[in-house]
Order: sequence, then C-alpha cells, then structure tokens
Amino acid sequence: MNQAAPAPRENQGDPVVRIDARLKVTGQAGYPADIVTANVAYGALATSSIARGKVSELHTKDARAVPGVLDIVTYGDMDKADTPKFGNTGASSIGPLHDKTVFHDGQIIALVVAETFEAAEEAAMLIRADYENERPSASFDSKGVKMEPAAGKSPMFKEDAKAGDFDAAWADATVKIDEKYSTPTQHHNPIELFSTTAIWQGDQLTIHEPSQNVTGWKVELARQLKLDPANVRIVSPYIGGAFGSKGPMTARTAIVAVAARRIGRPVRCVVNRMQAFGTQIYRAETRHRIRMGAGKDGRITAFGHEGWEVTSRPDPYVVGGTSATARMYNYGSVLTHVSLVHADRNTPGYMRSPPETPYVYALENAMDEMAVALGMDPVEFRRINEPEKEPIGGKPFSSRSLIKCYDQASDAFGWSKRDPRVGSMREGDWLVGMGCATAIYPTAAAPCAARVRFTADGEVRVQCGSHEIGTGVRTVAGQMAAERLGVGMDKVSVEMGDSALPPAPVSGGSISTASVCSAVMKACDAIREKLFAAAAGRGAPLAGSGNAKLDLKDEKVVTETGKSAKLADVFKAMQVGALEEYAEFAPKGSSPEALSKLYAGQPEFHGGEGDKDSVKYAFGAEFVEVRINSYTREIRVPRIVGAFAAGRIMNTRTARSQLMGGMIWGIGQALHEATEIDQRHARYVNRDLQDYLVPVNADIKEVDVILVPETDHQVNPAGVKGLGELGNVGTAAAVASAVYHATGKRIRDLPIRIDDLIG
Amino acid sequence: MSDAKMSSGLSRRMFMTASVSAAAVMPLANSPTRAAQPESAKPAEPRDLSAVSIRVNKQAYNLALDNRTSLLDALRDHVGLTGTKKGCDHGQCGACTVLIDGKRVLSCLSFAVMNQGREITTVEGLASTDGELHPVQQAFIDHDAFQCGYCTPGQIMSAIGCINEGHAGSEDDIREYMSGNLCRCAAYPNIVAAIVQARDETRRA
Repeated sequence: MNQAAPAPRENQGDPVVRIDARLKVTGQAGYPADIVTANVAYGALATSSIARGKVSELHTKDARAVPGVLDIVTYGDMDKADTPKFGNTGASSIGPLHDKTVFHDGQIIALVVAETFEAAEEAAMLIRADYENERPSASFDSKGVKMEPAAGKSPMFKEDAKAGDFDAAWADATVKIDEKYSTPTQHHNPIELFSTTAIWQGDQLTIHEPSQNVTGWKVELARQLKLDPANVRIVSPYIGGAFGSKGPMTARTAIVAVAARRIGRPVRCVVNRMQAFGTQIYRAETRHRIRMGAGKDGRITAFGHEGWEVTSRPDPYVVGGTSATARMYNYGSVLTHVSLVHADRNTPGYMRSPPETPYVYALENAMDEMAVALGMDPVEFRRINEPEKEPIGGKPFSSRSLIKCYDQASDAFGWSKRDPRVGSMREGDWLVGMGCATAIYPTAAAPCAARVRFTADGEVRVQCGSHEIGTGVRTVAGQMAAERLGVGMDKVSVEMGDSALPPAPVSGGSISTASVCSAVMKACDAIREKLFAAAAGRGAPLAGSGNAKLDLKDEKVVTETGKSAKLADVFKAMQVGALEEYAEFAPKGSSPEALSKLYAGQPEFHGGEGDKDSVKYAFGAEFVEVRINSYTREIRVPRIVGAFAAGRIMNTRTARSQLMGGMIWGIGQALHEATEIDQRHARYVNRDLQDYLVPVNADIKEVDVILVPETDHQVNPAGVKGLGELGNVGTAAAVASAVYHATGKRIRDLPIRIDDLIG
Repeated sequence: MSDAKMSSGLSRRMFMTASVSAAAVMPLANSPTRAAQPESAKPAEPRDLSAVSIRVNKQAYNLALDNRTSLLDALRDHVGLTGTKKGCDHGQCGACTVLIDGKRVLSCLSFAVMNQGREITTVEGLASTDGELHPVQQAFIDHDAFQCGYCTPGQIMSAIGCINEGHAGSEDDIREYMSGNLCRCAAYPNIVAAIVQARDETRRA
C-alpha cells in the first residue's frame, strides 16, 4: 500500500491496478495516431489569418509545387458532404470548407495531403488567402457583439432558476455582497495532439481519432458524408487526455475522410498544437455578478447570480452553471439570469466541469466574502446554510455529505490552527493564507449497452463502446465484472473505444462509471442467473440448493451453506463452452425511446436536477494553503486537502488519482491558465504549451484526497456518482480565499498572478 | 562541418548557434567559387533525402529521410516505434523524451540526421526480453503515476535521466528536474513518489 492506493472504506472498492497499466508504461498502448497504417499520406491544415470576413481568393499554386504534394482539399471539395451540425455530437455548425465566410481566426481554409509530413507542412505554410476583411468582435466588451438571454437556447439549459421574492429579500438584507467575478478563456491542451486518420476499404470508412463519443461520431460522420452508419467505424482505444476536448466531433474529421477518398489512400492529419487552439473547442470566458444578502445570524436570505458567457456567432453554446449554484445552499430567495454574448470566435465546448468551474468559482468566492463581512468562520457559514431540500424545486437530495466532507477535510488540513485575521500568519519571508470552498457536480447517468462473455475456464471479456480517457473506466468495468462473476482481475479483459462495440454514451458529464458499470452489472447478472439455474438444476452439481442464495466466488458457484461447484463443472452440466450476455441499461426516468436513441448517438442524460424524485449531486470540500513571498509576491500552493463523497467508489486508486488531478486543475485555473486574446484581431496569442501555462511538477506539492464513505441507492443500480469533474470545482475559489487571507487582496478575476498582488 | 563532428555530442543549442554563424559567413566566403560550380554541386535542398543510420534499442536502422525529419518523426513514422509521443513538436511538453547515449533528449528538437551512430533508447527498449519491467516502469504502475498514459513514455525516460544525472536526491529536486515533462492529467505527486521508489531500488541494485 502507498498513497496512490488508499485502503477502501465503507462502500469502496479495492485499489486495483489499472488494467492497462503495463501497456501504458511500455509504450504499447496504441493511441489513434500510433496505429501503423500502410501507404498512409500525411495531412496538414492551413488556417485563416483573419477572424471575420470572407476568403476572396485562395492561392495554392506554390503549395501544389512542393515535391510530394498529392492533393489540396479546399472550397468546393466538400460540396457533396452535408455541413456539420452543432450539438452534443458536433462541435460547431461551421462547415469551414462549405462556405468562404470566415467566422473566427484559425478557421480551416485547406487541407494539404502529401507523401511526407514535412512536405505537407511546407505546402500548408505556402497557402495564401486574399480576404475581404471585416473588423472582428473579440469578446465581452468588443463593439459589435450580440447579447441574448441563454435560457431556452440550448436543450441543456432550459430556464433561469428562481425561488421566492429576491428583490424584497435583497432590499431587507442586513449584510450584503454585490460583486463581479470573471474567468478567462481556457484550452484543454491534452498532451495528445488532435488527429484524424481516415482509411477507406471500398465503401467502408474507418476513422482512428481520439474520441470521447465513438457512437455519436459514427452517426454524425455518416450523416455528413451521406453514408450508411453501418459503414462507418470510429476507433479510439486509448485517448491521451480529453477533459471534454474530444467529446464533440470537429469539421476536420469529414475533411480528412474526403481527402482519403480523393487520393485513394489512407490519410493521417495530426493537428499541430497552435492550430488546435482555433480548430478545437475551448472553455469560453465568463463574467458573473453575485448579489448575496444575509442576516446577522449568517443565514442567507437572498442569492442573485447573473452570468455572461461568450460563444461563436452561429452557435448558442451555453453552460449555465446557475442551475447548480442556485441549488447549493439554503438561500431564502434566488434570482438568476444567464446571457450569451456572440463574438467572432470559434464555438466553445465542454471542458472539465463546464458549468460548475466558472459559476461555482464566483459563488464560492462570494461565500468567502460574505463570511468575512459577517465576521464568521467560512466553514461555519456554510454549515449554517446547509439545506434540507434544494431551494428551487423543493426536492430532497438523493444524498448530500457536504458537511462530512468539510469535517474530514478541515481536520486533515488543520483548519483550527488558522488565525482568521488577514495577514496574521507568516513564516519568514512568506505570507501564509488558508481558504476553503465547496465542490459540487451533478450526478447523471445515460443509457449504455455492454456485452460480457464468460467461458468455462473463468475468462471474462467485457465489451463496451465507452472510452478510456485516463479515468480508469476500463479498469472499473473489469472490476465490476470480476466481482459479479467471482474471478480475479487477471481473468478479465475489457474492450472499449470502438463504435463496433455495444454503444455507450459520450464520456462526459462524469457519467461513464455509473452508466458503464450499470450495464456491465446487468449483463453479468444475466450470466449469473443462467449459471445458478444450471448449478441448482436436477442432476447438477448443486442440485437441491434451489432456495439457497447462490453466489460466484473464486471461479466457483457457492451456496450460503458453504457448498460449491466448480465453474467448469457447471458449464459442463449446461453443455456450453461460453455464456454471453448483451445488456442494455437505461436510467430511471428514461423515455421509451431512450435506448434506440443511444444507438443513434443521442443518449439521454438523467439525474442532476432533472429527476422528479430528488436532485442528485456529488459534493466535496477543499482546503488550500498558499504562501506568498512578501517581496516578490510569488504565489505557491504547498498543500491542498480535498474530501469528496461520491456514492460507491469502484476503485480507490483511480478515484483518488482523478480527484487529485482535478484539484491540480483547480490550482491551474486559479494561478496559471488563461488563453490571451488579441482584442483587435480576435486572435489567440499564447497558442502553445510554453505560453499557455499549466501546472508543472514543481508547482505542486502535497495533495491529500479523502474519499468520504457514502451510500446512495437512488442514483443508479451501481450506486456510483461520477467524480472526474468534481475535483476541480471550487478549488480556484479556495485559492482566491487563501490569497485574500494572506494579503487582504480579494482577486475576483482569474487567474491570480503576481502582478495582481503587487502594490 | 563533417558528419563526425556533428555526431560528437553537439547539443541542439550549439548546433543552432553553429548553423546561424555559418550561414552568416558563408555567402561572403563561398560566393566566388560557388558561382563557378556546376549545377549538380549546389547545396542540398531541404527536401533532399539523406541516408541515415541510427541505432535504436540496440538495433541498427538504415533510413532514407528528409533532412528536416525530426528524430521523433523518424522513430514514429519510419522506424515504427510509436511509444515515443508527440505532444507539441516544440520542445515544450517532454512527451517525446528519449535517451541518447544515456542522456535525456527531446527527440522533437533533434533532427534524425544529427543522430548518426548514436545509441537511442526509447520506452520500448526498457523492459528486458523476459518481460521484466525497468524499476521506473514498475514504480509508475505501483504509484499510479499516470492516467491517460500519453505523457508516460516521456516521463519514464525523463525519470531515468533524472535519476542517472543525480537529480533525484530530494523530492524538491525531482519536482524541479521533472518539470519539463507536462502531465495534463496531473499525476505529479504520484510521479514524484514513483521516482523516489525507483531511485532507491536503483541505488540498492
């Protein structure tokens, strides 16, 4: 045992080693751009150098003259394909080569295909465009942006949450906070580059591309290329980091497929880091105004949260995190409103805890400000406002262990040693600050299918078209099968990341473990039924134990009374060599067509605040210590403690790692990450890993993750709440509060940098 | 500059400096004679192929490569060893780290032609033929020092370099000397723990 493998507590699974660990440390895990492809040609993108206008002429002569260039796909060449659709599967409605209109900087204007990578890159750099250039609107304060209410613009955000009479409560409140907060543009920057490899065999198209949604992409790509979805296969067995960025399919996939068909050869296009900033999705910048009113007793009486989000001109991408912030505490009254601001930018998309990261940052920063205004301990302030029921619909929480999280995290952190006076804690040249914040993430699940095969020698094969993006879902699906079928993990193999497998929903919204494990469990249970019926049947090894409870353990069928039959003997009695079950899971509340929609790549999500019986969330509490150099204002985070309760934990190792990674993301959001925008040209400036800052090893010291036991039978059959996105919610507010505690400076605009603390 | 000189341990930085100064001097020094030379003797075009012999994981490879081909692309696209990863192609992420003559090098910042005769070790060359993992590989598994696994080959090669250099003395040293290898899943504390374990095992051995 070491720190990476916490001892399981109640309702927590063993810290089983990742099923693909050996492949990953030996370089054998095949990411999509690693797949050896015979006779492959190389693609390189050329992108626009303006953000708004039209391409009047494209000059490709010099590019075509580069030795080795095979083809250039550009305007007119995609006409036979349909334009992309914006939604959960498609990143944007912009079909860059369907139309010479330029919607954003870095929009694809051509794809060069050549014999070598070097020739493709050289040629792509020689492509020149003449533009009818218009003045672009970059972001919130730019001239020419269009603002509209967000509610109803997206199926994911139907209405602004409200409760009670906010105006009256606000007018009457004794203590008030009215502050503005903002979060910057951020890009996921998974270390794996985005890539597409397209291979045609007759009418059959295979795409190797890192994807969080192989089924959805198959259907959407078939639609764009007017193919039978049965002839399209998306393969993505290992994904080199995703965080949402590989959820929606971008326009590139169809363009590369068309190029491969035109030259009659496989084409691989690995997008360079710089071009990814404009051709992929990102987290758009947000602004917030929070009004909070409370009585002297610390009870919140009024909570107002207004949010503004940037999106592209054509697509109404909205995250609307007010649906979570409005349900966080026992507010007397709630008023929220979210607005979209359309600018000349590429369409944003999901990035780790898309709604909660920015919105909860604003809320939790305000909570700390209110605690300060009330002269109250911030933990105590949250305890006082802990709700019995969520304030918007009056529904109960399926489970809510937030206070337990606060208790366990504050103990481990040593919160009681904190002197609440600003600037009071110091060690040598370093000002010490301590802060805390709440993490929340909706618990959802979606329909999912899985196939499980069990053979007489105890071998288990699990097949499910979900995606191993580093979460450990392949491992926990295997654990579920091993547990239900009574075999060791060494007997289990798990296939994922292929649209030829039983369909799974998009690996987003922290739904995978719940959805996949529920489906795998169902398939395993069907196998159990068959084995038990056979084992207890007439003349069978356990004949006569029909009423006794049977179980599978150590490759045996066992009875409660200690009798057992070897698996091989039960299979022999059945006269079969393998049992295979295909199971479909649909969460409670699913529509009658929910499962057929899964096959069509449109999984319904259930849970969060959408269910009738209760609202479903996972919670956590994070405590951060910052140290700020009194001369240079350098900001360090020597330690962070987070306690999280997320229902059944399948594997304490993978759960801890995900939460730890999330908390470090939170530190990055607090102190490092921001995509800078040139306001005149609506262009991303720091488009590489040198200038887009992410935490490096030296930025991180102690990270302590506490897995708080919680049991919740309402959420889904597996009892699992997702936690991939929980860890980085609230962290930035905890850091901001700690910075305030150390310096007396309340920084409301992320990221917090040295220059914010000088003077 | 002869091949022999090129392969005598010049760093990328030195190579760049040398090239820049050579380029600045060459036109003056060479222009009279160059004009008189026949067409066939003109300097190599960047697109020309060169015969390159490199040794990777103790095996020799004779390749015909575009002079611009990075060692990283040579390994992945020409040798067929895709364990070494491309994360930025600009020397900013560390995913492409390999060992060249035992020292860690970013293979995206090294032209393949610069590596004639050198011994290159990639992640595929670490485990012994009987399947026993290198102590760093095993420690990465034990401490769950990765999630998606994409930066892992680079982290492992860099960790070996870090230990060999004697830069793994303390956890703070490890953090500092491993900061050229980004892990977006942020397994950093586990990576440090893994390197401490591997360092101690290597010392005992």
